Amino acid sequence: MLTKKDSSAIVNCVNYSLGISRRSPTFAVGLLIVVLFLMLALMADVLSPYSPTQSFSYKVLNHPGDQFLFGSDGNGMDVFSRVLHGCRYAFGISIPAGLIMITIGVPLGLVAGYKGGLVDEVLLRILDVLRSFPTIILALAVVAAMGQSLTSMVLVIGVLDSPIFARVVRAEVLALRSSSFVMAAIAMGNPAWRIMFVHILPNAILGVTAQLPMRMAWAVRISATLAFIGVGIQAPTPEWGAMIRQGAEFVITGEWWVALFPGIALMILVLGFNLLGDGLSDLLDPRRRSVGK
Amino acid sequence: MSATRRSRIIRFLFFRFVVSIPVLLGIIFLTFMLIRIGGQDPVAMIAGPVADSAMLSAIRSQLQLDQPLLKQFLNYVLLVSQGDLGVSWQGGKPVLSEIKQLFPATLELVFLSVGLAALVGVPIGMRSALKPNGWFDQLTRFCSLAGFSMPTYWLGLMAIFVFFYLLRWAPAPMGRLGVDVVAPTFVTGSVLIDCLLEGNWSALNSAMSHLALPVLCFALLAAAPIIKQTRAIMLEIVGSDYVRYARANGFSQKTIEKIALRNAAGPLLTFLGSELTSLLAAAALIEYIFSLSGLGQWGLNAILLGDFAVVQGYVLTLALCSMLIFMVIDLLVLMLEPRN
Amino acid sequence: MSLISIEDLHVHFISRGIDNQLMTAKALNGVSFSVEAGQVMGIVGETGAGKSLTANSILGLLRPPAKIVKGRILFNGEDLRVIDQGSTSIRGKLITLIPQSPKTSLDPTTKIGDQLIRIQVEHGTASGSDAHARALNMLEQVQIPDPLRRMNAWAHELSGGMAQRVLIAASLINSPKLVIADEPTTGLDLTVQAEVLDTLRKLVKSSNMSSIIITHDLGIVAHYCDRMAVMFAGSVVEEGSVVSIFKNPLHPYTQSLIASTPKQIAKNGYKRINKGPPDLYNLGSGCLYKDRCHKAQSICDTAPQLLSLDLGHKTLCHFPGPSTNA
Repeated sequence: MLTKKDSSAIVNCVNYSLGISRRSPTFAVGLLIVVLFLMLALMADVLSPYSPTQSFSYKVLNHPGDQFLFGSDGNGMDVFSRVLHGCRYAFGISIPAGLIMITIGVPLGLVAGYKGGLVDEVLLRILDVLRSFPTIILALAVVAAMGQSLTSMVLVIGVLDSPIFARVVRAEVLALRSSSFVMAAIAMGNPAWRIMFVHILPNAILGVTAQLPMRMAWAVRISATLAFIGVGIQAPTPEWGAMIRQGAEFVITGEWWVALFPGIALMILVLGFNLLGDGLSDLLDPRRRSVGK
Repeated sequence: MSATRRSRIIRFLFFRFVVSIPVLLGIIFLTFMLIRIGGQDPVAMIAGPVADSAMLSAIRSQLQLDQPLLKQFLNYVLLVSQGDLGVSWQGGKPVLSEIKQLFPATLELVFLSVGLAALVGVPIGMRSALKPNGWFDQLTRFCSLAGFSMPTYWLGLMAIFVFFYLLRWAPAPMGRLGVDVVAPTFVTGSVLIDCLLEGNWSALNSAMSHLALPVLCFALLAAAPIIKQTRAIMLEIVGSDYVRYARANGFSQKTIEKIALRNAAGPLLTFLGSELTSLLAAAALIEYIFSLSGLGQWGLNAILLGDFAVVQGYVLTLALCSMLIFMVIDLLVLMLEPRN
Repeated sequence: MSLISIEDLHVHFISRGIDNQLMTAKALNGVSFSVEAGQVMGIVGETGAGKSLTANSILGLLRPPAKIVKGRILFNGEDLRVIDQGSTSIRGKLITLIPQSPKTSLDPTTKIGDQLIRIQVEHGTASGSDAHARALNMLEQVQIPDPLRRMNAWAHELSGGMAQRVLIAASLINSPKLVIADEPTTGLDLTVQAEVLDTLRKLVKSSNMSSIIITHDLGIVAHYCDRMAVMFAGSVVEEGSVVSIFKNPLHPYTQSLIASTPKQIAKNGYKRINKGPPDLYNLGSGCLYKDRCHKAQSICDTAPQLLSLDLGHKTLCHFPGPSTNA
């Protein structure tokens, strides 16, 4: 039997969920999608009818039907199981890459914005070069150079996107640097590192939190793109990009399912991350909160 | 134009030229080092399977690949400044002439797509901002985010499936012209323009139908960020003090929109410039899928195979193009905005 | 008949919080006052009292989640709400606004002269070279140096004081009946403040216009206004002629306001009130000032009646009159 406390707690939860969804439906939908995929990734083994690399040589390129929910691919492997397991790779790349981005980008942005000087100059030059340099090509070249492993992909993606985080943090720091509470902290004799991490960082973190899902979306996208081109992860690994690569040859002959389903999964997850990030920036936008005139 | 304005513009151009040189050098350096730290050994590719170690080392020293990296880099820079961009190791074609042939195709694709995307996307973004959180706004936001999330190549593949395989509307995705048509003589490298110049209508028809699908796909994907950013820019303007004051003055909706548009022009142009440059690189994927033999496809292949000179040439071209675009846009903004 | 008369205006902000509960901020609670032709009315109050909101309501600039839930705004006898809040024949022509932040309120991409011309053309008051001449004339009247050259200036080239003068010119160029100045001296230094206000007063008086000056500075009200209204928590707690109110402040809030000018503090010292501004989401019933009032008693839980002295001096209080303690 639910006690009164339990039921009021549940009502509270429901109210908060509704309230947040009302305020930012994009956030709610995005969160839903991401959490759903995360669960699919965690439970991939349980949910897959077949092993993702188990090939049925007599059942190559079967239509989606009763035996194979999403059909089978050119090697006779079940597309559905492969798509499910692809979730693991998506998160397995984006989460570590995201962590790397934050670990490098945030301190970099803090120091560049607060201290300025050499670090700032170098960061700005790097951003300049990245602005003119096709990033996809950069990623391509580096991954091709460093070998076809998961780790190199994660490293490259993480490092490549750090300057963008640094830029976001730097902008926030610059805005906060001349605010009164920071001035007060300086006047009270706080050492620089303390000001950066204790005073400025908590306020700058909002912008970062909203960017993070977008960057993770990009990480998922670009890892799939690289796999599609043929660097990084290759078949028979059930990674979405690699699956689309394989599916590409069959599209012209009409076997659409090999490329379609991994693409849809990819699109929905990336969409989910983007919605999440968009919704977060909506929610955290301080302007929306005030009951303004 | 006033004298101060003119001198400002001249100073701007001068400084941009000066600053761009180190950035360009940085990019060349980066590409140079990147492509060489990989494990690919181009010598094996050039020599072929029959070569023995003596031949391999001969080729290596002929190509100066056994020199210290820095020396190789300086040599390259020297050659580039004289206009020699090296030679492709697949077939020996000089890089510069290949670029001249293939780049216009990429430009054609990108300009058509971005033009279409901007034509459609900017008004949509603006309309979205004028009625924020209305149904039109929510719909466009969702669609633009969906566009953000779609993988380029996947959309291309699906489009090929639907429009070529199922509907037979689009031609086979094999190049820019059908095999049954006579190609126009090369003048600008852009198939559409060359056909027009020659009056070659059948080729023009074929070219247009071959470009239709890739341009549509690319434009769809280019439109997403354009819509999002236009909306963001407009929202900020609509919430500004001067628009509020214009409302307080009882200006008609049309006048207020005109005010908003004038203030949006600067930021919008800047954004379109940066979109253009990033799309120049992304075009590679579309070219790859539709076999459009543009610069991107060529460069992509070269990276995978380790064709050093081609990769360097490709990146150099893109970087130069980007910088040029940025400079033109910034110049336009400088001339438009009275704040300068 | 008064030029403009606000009757029992109630404005609420209705929104939903994160916990999905409806939250209502009662920003204006029964605002009533009137301004006659040729009068200068000052509206004072602390931040959040609802002064700017009242101005926005008059101009019809309210946007969701703000809503007028009760009350009328009568301009020349007609209810402005009925005329259509979006009407463009009143805003900018018969009632004009001098906004709070001068530099950011001017269009950055249009020359000053063109902006002044645009205001006239939009309302059909003048066009072509006529509009140009009038704009130039207006710039001279607000005492902008070198007005002909300034006609071609851009907004960012002006200082705060000059921008404010341009805004004054813009507000007067269509010869309105009522000019609302929202904190016209924010961000200006003292000497410039005085000049700007002198210019405003001179021009208003010379054309027999009415003006509402919104400010938190009692000094400005004392020097430039004929009548004043004191606002607190979205209601007018005291209204009357400036002379009458300064001589004999009836409401405890007015008395505290006057007592907190530097001169008075130097003379009488001060007492601390440990309460912040009222929470508009949870206002409670009865007198809105009771939490901060030193005269508060249990009867203050019921709404006070409007008490009227002669000369149009009114107040909303159970215990009006001189304070019993300092």
